[in-house]
Amino acid sequence: MVKTISAETRRAPADRATARFARWSANRANRLKTVRTIWMALLMLFLYAPILIMIALSFNASVSRSQWTGFTLDWYVKLFNDPAILGALKTTIEVAVVATIISTIIGTLGAIGIHAMNSGMAGMLINVSYLPMTTPDIVTGVSLMLMYLFCHVPLGKWTMIFAHIAFDIPYVLFSVMPKLRQMNPNLYEAALDLGCKPIKALWKVIIPEITPGIFTGALLAFTMSLDDFVISYFTSSDMYPNLSRIVYSSTKLGVKPTMYALSTLMFTTILILLVLVNKRTKLENL
Amino acid sequence: MVQDTRLIELKGVCKNFGDTQVLRDVDLYIRKCEFITLLGPSGCGKTTLLRIIGGFEMPSSGEVLFEGSDLTVIPPYKRRINTVFQKYALFNHLNVYDNIAFGLNLKTPEQLGVKTKAEKKKEIERRVKRMLRLVKMDGYEKRSTDALSGGQQQRIAIARALVNEPEVLLLDEPLGALDLKLRKEMQLELKAMQQQLGITFIYVTHDQEEALTMSDTIAVMNGGRIQQIGDPKRIYDEPKNAFVADFIGESNILSGTMLQDELVEFSGTEFQCVDEGFGTNAPVDVVIRPEDIMIVGEDVGMLTGTVQSVIFKGVHYEMMIKGESDGTLWKVHSTTMQPVGTRVGMTIVPYNIHIMRKATTADAVPVSDSGKEEA
Repeated sequence: MVKTISAETRRAPADRATARFARWSANRANRLKTVRTIWMALLMLFLYAPILIMIALSFNASVSRSQWTGFTLDWYVKLFNDPAILGALKTTIEVAVVATIISTIIGTLGAIGIHAMNSGMAGMLINVSYLPMTTPDIVTGVSLMLMYLFCHVPLGKWTMIFAHIAFDIPYVLFSVMPKLRQMNPNLYEAALDLGCKPIKALWKVIIPEITPGIFTGALLAFTMSLDDFVISYFTSSDMYPNLSRIVYSSTKLGVKPTMYALSTLMFTTILILLVLVNKRTKLENL
Repeated sequence: MVQDTRLIELKGVCKNFGDTQVLRDVDLYIRKCEFITLLGPSGCGKTTLLRIIGGFEMPSSGEVLFEGSDLTVIPPYKRRINTVFQKYALFNHLNVYDNIAFGLNLKTPEQLGVKTKAEKKKEIERRVKRMLRLVKMDGYEKRSTDALSGGQQQRIAIARALVNEPEVLLLDEPLGALDLKLRKEMQLELKAMQQQLGITFIYVTHDQEEALTMSDTIAVMNGGRIQQIGDPKRIYDEPKNAFVADFIGESNILSGTMLQDELVEFSGTEFQCVDEGFGTNAPVDVVIRPEDIMIVGEDVGMLTGTVQSVIFKGVHYEMMIKGESDGTLWKVHSTTMQPVGTRVGMTIVPYNIHIMRKATTADAVPVSDSGKEEA
């Protein structure tokens, strides 16, 4: 015991320097942490302030955009009593559901096909499928509209559904492809080996194996469908408005707080869906 | 036991992937109930050969016959052949029971020897249970396949293939992922299963010890060709060329000259041997197994040398001995140890000297001369 103390005393000056350094570096770490926090807060504010304001105003009792006059759910009640909005909600969901189902089937089969190809051809097809994801919506929308007009197809619900299928397919494709690449390459052969014909092997072994990817793809496609305004705007008509179109047309006449409420609900729904997609992708990559 | 009927016959089978020739003119027959091993280094074409028999690849040319009729026109799902894949390829969305029952579920009740669907279900259950007992996995029916260890997954993969009562079972390096002890146990179990069931096994491995332990017949492959085919003892004792000698077991391979029948010269010394028919003054390769070199007193040996290194290998010591006549490094296995630096004599009895013709250009293989790699 005595020995230890004497040893420490002898080393004291060095220890003091070490302690000073430790204090200094701890402070430095703290300072850095503060800067980081403030930076993040500013970034978040920049990104989400408009949406937060909109959400707040959707609960504001008065029509005023500058004065808070009390909390109310009236706008939400009105929203669900407005036949035009309910109709648009129905259209939006209908379009999203049909487009999701069809694009999931096409995208999944496409992914399986691309996976089975030799790498050169597959690489080309993958690049071709990337393109629609990066093309500006307005270009996709206008070109689809032109194609429909060129073929004398009247714009309506089905033209919108086909447009949604078209832009949903790549999302399904790129959710399913990684699952196929992770799969044991012998699984399909094992199914054949045990007596499955090729189609049956696909159905009984490959599809179950990649189901998580298919589900993620479908969820993503559904979200994209709900989310879309520009392409829907060009490929549908006022006879079949979806929610985003209703919001857009109402802004021409001056925005009513019901629109804030509607936008808040759309934002929340898509947020929840995206969180779900993210959680799934994380789980799958574990 | 192995019967004389030829179950599978390959005649002049070639396989190309693009410009690469993976199989060159392979002739092979496989008899009923035979345990045959395709042995060779990676890239020698052994897996491709197995996949051709399984129906997952088509030969570029040549014939594949099953009981005398063309096998290549029959799709894999109709062949009476089942495969145990390298990484097991179990179906993770099904439990152990459903994995094993997979093949049986695809059959009609008549094919299983029963009449109704209810009877089929019972029959499947009976066969799956029997298989689980055979691979010592009873009680695991409801388990998920991810929850099994490598060895257990291996057993399920074997059960899943065997439950279909195939004529031939193909196994592609099935024990590669297991640890040494488990691998040795499974080797014995597989051999016992094969004898008990009387099924032809075609086994692919790069592990020569595994091949020697289990097989009735070994086909040593390299560069897309079968280098030698025969029973394990013959392959070990009488390798046909330097590649086989080098690949199977450890050996000293030297260049020598066959002076006349039963007299060979290598390492600057003349030796009596038992081989004949090579002509006179013919260049040959000489194989001597490390355990066949006896260490004697330095004055009484046929060769003298100095011990360069000693490694303890468990049962024996492995010593590298540098010959005085021409500097050859001899690999010698002995149960008695000689310290490094000792001058010793070495003796080789005539029947332990194995003479091979020099590799012709057609099957020329790069072979490291004996003892070039120092321990």
